[in-house]
Amino acid sequence: MEPLAIVSFLAAVLAATWRLATPFIFTSLGEVFSERAGVLNIGLEGVMLIGAFTAFAITFFTGSPVLGLAAAITSGLACGLLFAFLTVSLSANQIVVGAALNLVGLGLTSFLYRSIFSGRMETAREYVSFSPLEIPFLSSIRFFGDILFKQNLMVYATPIVVLLGSFILYRTAFGLSVRSTGEHPRTVDSAGLRVSMIRYASVLIGCGLAAVGGAYLTVAHTNQFNEGITSGRGFIALAVVVIGRWSPWGAFAVSLLFGFFYALQLRLQAVSGITIPYQFFQAMPYLLTLVVFVAMRRRAAPPGALGVPYKS
Amino acid sequence: MKSKIWQLTSTLLGSFLLLVLAGGCSGGSEKEINAGVFKVGLLSPGPVNGQGWTQIAYEALLKIEKELGAQISYVEVEQSPALFERAFRDYASQGYQMVLGHGFEFQDAALTVAKDFPNTYFFISSSKIREGNVIGVDSDSSEAFYLMGVVAALMGKAAGLVGGVEIPPITNAFIGFTNGVRSIDPDFPISTTYLGSWTDAAAAKEAAFSMIAEGADFIIPDADAAGSGVYQALNETGPGYWSFGIYNDYTSQAPNNMIGNYFNDYGQGLVNLARMVKDGNFDIQTNVEFGLKDEDVIWVKFVEGRVPVDVQESVETARQGIIDSKINTLSPIR
Amino acid sequence: METVEPEIAQKPPSRRSDLKKISFSPRYLFTLGRKMAPPVAALAAALLVGAILLYAAGYSPWYAYGVMWEGAFGSRNNLAETLLKATPLILIGSGLAVAFRSGIWNIGAEGQLYAGAVAATLAGIFFTGLPAMILVPLVLLAGMLSGAIWGGLAGFLKVRFGASEIVTTIMLNFIAIIATSYLVTGPMIEEVGKFPQTAQIADAARLPRILFPTRLHIGFLLAMGVALASYLLLFKSSRGYALRTVGISPDAARYAGINVGAGLMISMAISGGAAGLAGATEVAGLTFRLYQEISPGYGFDGIAVALLANNNPIGVIFTGILFGALRSGSEVMQMNAQVPSVLVSVIQGVVLLSAAALGVFRITVAESRKE
Repeated sequence: MEPLAIVSFLAAVLAATWRLATPFIFTSLGEVFSERAGVLNIGLEGVMLIGAFTAFAITFFTGSPVLGLAAAITSGLACGLLFAFLTVSLSANQIVVGAALNLVGLGLTSFLYRSIFSGRMETAREYVSFSPLEIPFLSSIRFFGDILFKQNLMVYATPIVVLLGSFILYRTAFGLSVRSTGEHPRTVDSAGLRVSMIRYASVLIGCGLAAVGGAYLTVAHTNQFNEGITSGRGFIALAVVVIGRWSPWGAFAVSLLFGFFYALQLRLQAVSGITIPYQFFQAMPYLLTLVVFVAMRRRAAPPGALGVPYKS
Repeated sequence: MKSKIWQLTSTLLGSFLLLVLAGGCSGGSEKEINAGVFKVGLLSPGPVNGQGWTQIAYEALLKIEKELGAQISYVEVEQSPALFERAFRDYASQGYQMVLGHGFEFQDAALTVAKDFPNTYFFISSSKIREGNVIGVDSDSSEAFYLMGVVAALMGKAAGLVGGVEIPPITNAFIGFTNGVRSIDPDFPISTTYLGSWTDAAAAKEAAFSMIAEGADFIIPDADAAGSGVYQALNETGPGYWSFGIYNDYTSQAPNNMIGNYFNDYGQGLVNLARMVKDGNFDIQTNVEFGLKDEDVIWVKFVEGRVPVDVQESVETARQGIIDSKINTLSPIR
Repeated sequence: METVEPEIAQKPPSRRSDLKKISFSPRYLFTLGRKMAPPVAALAAALLVGAILLYAAGYSPWYAYGVMWEGAFGSRNNLAETLLKATPLILIGSGLAVAFRSGIWNIGAEGQLYAGAVAATLAGIFFTGLPAMILVPLVLLAGMLSGAIWGGLAGFLKVRFGASEIVTTIMLNFIAIIATSYLVTGPMIEEVGKFPQTAQIADAARLPRILFPTRLHIGFLLAMGVALASYLLLFKSSRGYALRTVGISPDAARYAGINVGAGLMISMAISGGAAGLAGATEVAGLTFRLYQEISPGYGFDGIAVALLANNNPIGVIFTGILFGALRSGSEVMQMNAQVPSVLVSVIQGVVLLSAAALGVFRITVAESRKE
């Protein structure tokens, strides 16, 4: 390739990287909070789907993606409330409830989609979404302009949200109590804090952000809903949290890495002469997770009380 | 202690279930066959309201209902080859005269069931089989894609193809496109990407973006519901980049970018077949293959004012050549 | 103020206590009723939620459920189809019961099923010359071994590297599914037609059918056998006692001289083997070849099936049939009442949620992570 072609190739791949990473970023950031407080939610895929569908439906009927996004967050919080009620208040098994959320998420969104939107498929596909926002001047910078300054609002929001998440987790009293709850709930309890409240809050953050990650797919990255549109992204987010070692910036970086694989995969296929099966790239995030476990040995230890219900 | 209780719970629950089973067995009788009604069933490989492939079968079914007054039914047997045989058998034993399995994957199951139900016609989409009452029905997209290839080569700089999954209906369409392009310009660049998904519209959109960055100005999806992502990418990129609507009119999704639409009224084709079945004069001895020759089934229509007259003439020449079998749209690519 | 107390494992019951449990004292029946109420209530709640959804979407719940019932049990063929769906669920559920009782969260049955299906297909295509007497067991064994290795891999990663099996098994699911997709579109694709599927397995590799004229095959009996064997292993053997001790308290197990790591690996291999066997019976009993999407999510349903039976393999037979009936009935419901069959996912999910709310799953996750 010519040097110039390589630059434009890179710019396109990196711009796509950020866009493809965005749903991972939101969802995994939320899960960092949840897991840091000791609650493992494997139902992210279901929550993402519910968020995606809600955002789509509300945007379709109101014409406002902002309202759609707000509704998605609400739906995510509702899932979170249910999840926390069952796993925290009733000490139900987190895996069971997570698996159930996945089932309900897929079934409910598909059922509603067919009941409400079948017959109006043509119109359903057209609604306003968050479209790319070119930042004046900056967007015309060569190379960086394409990557950084021609994205949509939700993509721009990711570093801000991660910064905020990181600040809350490491620099606030609430963050400290979240982290302590995941390691030593009993200590938190004896310090006079309510473990259940902290876990509720963390699960709500987790599910709320997962719903945002789902909503991104239907009101920002594309403007349509398909059954199962999340295509396993909720599970990839789980992997992101592990490889990012339960930290917000770690999750951000790993999300970008996975976004990069995704973008590279789509792009390399189009470049003639390269014949790596696309399945290889699809499997990349999952393989990498296993490699990380092996490479980090026991240093990649999750929060000590992850998955363990607590009763005061 | 606890486990023993569970053991017994299970035993009781079991006896209950067995009772239920026994009751169900004795109570159930084979459904009566309503001979007077013309009944048509559909096995759909995905949600019937998905775009593209699954939708055309569903619309076909609705058309059969409307035009022939048939009693219709469909079942989504997605992702579960093990279920196909049952669905065929259920329909056939309920006296359905015609059952459509919408995809090559239904062929095995139809062959197995068909022996027991000689009075039911089993149609299998995108199959070329003909064994007794199992009839492959293929609507050959390669011909329409050939015409798109001609347009792209005459009007564009480079083309990109975004496929859902690498299966013959898709690869054949793309071979047709490539042959069309080569008939005009053997060096015209074409790149192809498979998503490995029929639903991931975001991936389709990014695939299209990357093709645009690579210099392609004709980008055509064949990826069902995910394909819309391509139109959205073009719509965002702006005028000067072109696509075709696949199977249906998608002009509204990218009003400035759609150069034409490839219509596949599979429904009309099936109505034609169903009418023969209904009237009892189905006498086709081979498999069925719809192509440009079936003008009420497959056609390409350009958006007004987008295609110069000379290009339209070349397309028309190619179309005639295909209909007259002078052009083989599926000839192997070197 | 402490974490939930794990229940104490029972010793393997003696013969005498075996006999005792057959007596139906009123007190026993009362306890029994109390124990049975939650799962039944959970099912009722789920059906109610389903009914509300049906009603809201403009269907008659009564009619739809009637059709569903017919579809699950209404004829010999429908019953056979229900049992066919129950077969992989029972196999997977029995294996998972062993894993869950040992305190290891195998979420990877789906991937293990795929691993089994791939190996079984290879065996069925490759060893064509063999007679059925040898080939059928060989195919099943290949599937089982392959699943056991795939499951054992996650066990190994946990024991050797401390990797959370919840995460690794989910990853291994995707890897197995994607690898299968690669195999059937690439190296293993059929010669003729070139559709993404393998060639058919040899006739001699196919499982005998047991209920003419339905498709019910010997895999169902095999599943019952596996359930029984898992039950005996878990509750009637000293090995099972050791596994359950590991599940309840790894520390106590270690103190008692039990090799915790080996226990975890073994139960992962057992549950993986059962799931692999399910993959093999699907290929050898029903589809006769490998496709990209050989399982509609049996591996995930199997988790629910095991948990709903409180991880008792005998109970799994019934919860497996229940979930099989839901799936099979919902197809007929769609066919004859045109109700989207995805509704069944909601019903299954709500069964789990309500069962969770009613405290069915009170087994604590053993904290074996920090060994």
